[in-house]
Amino acid sequence: MHEFSIAEALATQVLRHAPPGRRVREVEIRVGAMRGLEPDAMQMCWDAVTHETALAGSVLVMDMLPWSLACPACGRVWESPVLFAECSCGEVSPRPTAGDELDLVSMTVDDDDGEPEATAAKGEAGAS
Amino acid sequence: MSEQVKTTRIPIVERVLEANDQLAETVRSELARRGIFAIDLIGAPGSGKTALLEATLRQLKGRRRPAVLVGDLATRRDGDRLARWCDRVVQISTGDGCHLEAGQVRDALTQLDLDGVDILFIENVGNLICPVGFDLGQAVKVGLFSLTEGDDKAAKHPYLVTAANLVLLNKIDLAPYVSFDRSGFEADVRLLNANVPILSVSATTGEGLDRWLDWLDRGVSGAQGARAT
Ligand SMILES: Nc1nc2c(ncn2[C@@H]2O[C@H](COP(=O)(O)OP(=O)(O)O)[C@@H](O)[C@H]2O)c(=O)[nH]1
Ligand SMILES: [Mg+2]
Ligand SMILES: [Zn+2]
Ligand SMILES: [Zn+2]
Repeated sequence: MHEFSIAEALATQVLRHAPPGRRVREVEIRVGAMRGLEPDAMQMCWDAVTHETALAGSVLVMDMLPWSLACPACGRVWESPVLFAECSCGEVSPRPTAGDELDLVSMTVDDDDGEPEATAAKGEAGAS
Repeated sequence: MSEQVKTTRIPIVERVLEANDQLAETVRSELARRGIFAIDLIGAPGSGKTALLEATLRQLKGRRRPAVLVGDLATRRDGDRLARWCDRVVQISTGDGCHLEAGQVRDALTQLDLDGVDILFIENVGNLICPVGFDLGQAVKVGLFSLTEGDDKAAKHPYLVTAANLVLLNKIDLAPYVSFDRSGFEADVRLLNANVPILSVSATTGEGLDRWLDWLDRGVSGAQGARAT
């Protein structure tokens, strides 16, 4: 189950990026259709990997990207839930343009109790 | 849950397997420095990865200096089969891991005398999906399919087909006995990877191996030429 290794790599990565002493509430990843990642399996592995660690209880949000197909005949590019799809122009062999994404996109952490205003300001700057 | 707790969203955007990818790059540059052509062989369990390597090593005897890393869940059987044809074989026991990672390759390479080696085969764990995402520092990925798996396996494993530098279709000696739509299979491969070469082989009878060996020779020449410059 490759979801387990990916969950492990992700947990290490999140801990590396997390500001010290701030609880991580949510972790957001982006997953291309080619990766063949099972959301349920991934969720289970995330819970198992983070159990009794600093990340315990954090929510994993998975943005499962659809296929992006490009038509070699008419040039149309569109998103499709399935890989093998016919273009509206009748072409039967549209090709995928991507799909191997597997990125940590963001994490959401508790604000620092000590200086809430400073933290909020920093967060806004970071998010823009 | 956290009505009172204020939170901050921190945008990051970094590949999840970044750490593996960095290790793979160090392996890749070490292999490139030595002029070693490295092949990550990926295919389903039973597709004939070990059999193909046995046949290939037999052919390379006296012509090349190969080394082999072989990932296996629990046994040493594949490693023992390959050691009959090559004196530089390292077995990587992956336990319940369903793929090899760059760190395992780096560690295994330290157990090998790489002096004079010009070609490195890495037999990945039998799995068509997850090994594709883990860069090992290889020069090329070879996707191995076989006639007995059914002609829909390229379509069902787009990640491997897209990433492959070569698609091998093994067990063609069984063509008279199994129904396998070769042109349909090739059309699926082409859709995903328009220019990838597709070679039909039989590890058992040796049919088609000459073109596979030619392809390997070109890879070795490329790796050695790149080192020379
Ligand atoms: N008929 C036939 N059988 C093959 C061929 N290649 C491998 N096999 C058989 O397929 C089975 C699995 O082969 P193996 O090399 O262990 O596959 P691996 O799991 O991918 O390493 C063995 O029984 C092999 O003898 C082939 O080209 N033709
Ligand atoms: Mg094997
Ligand atoms: Zn795996
Ligand atoms: Zn079209």
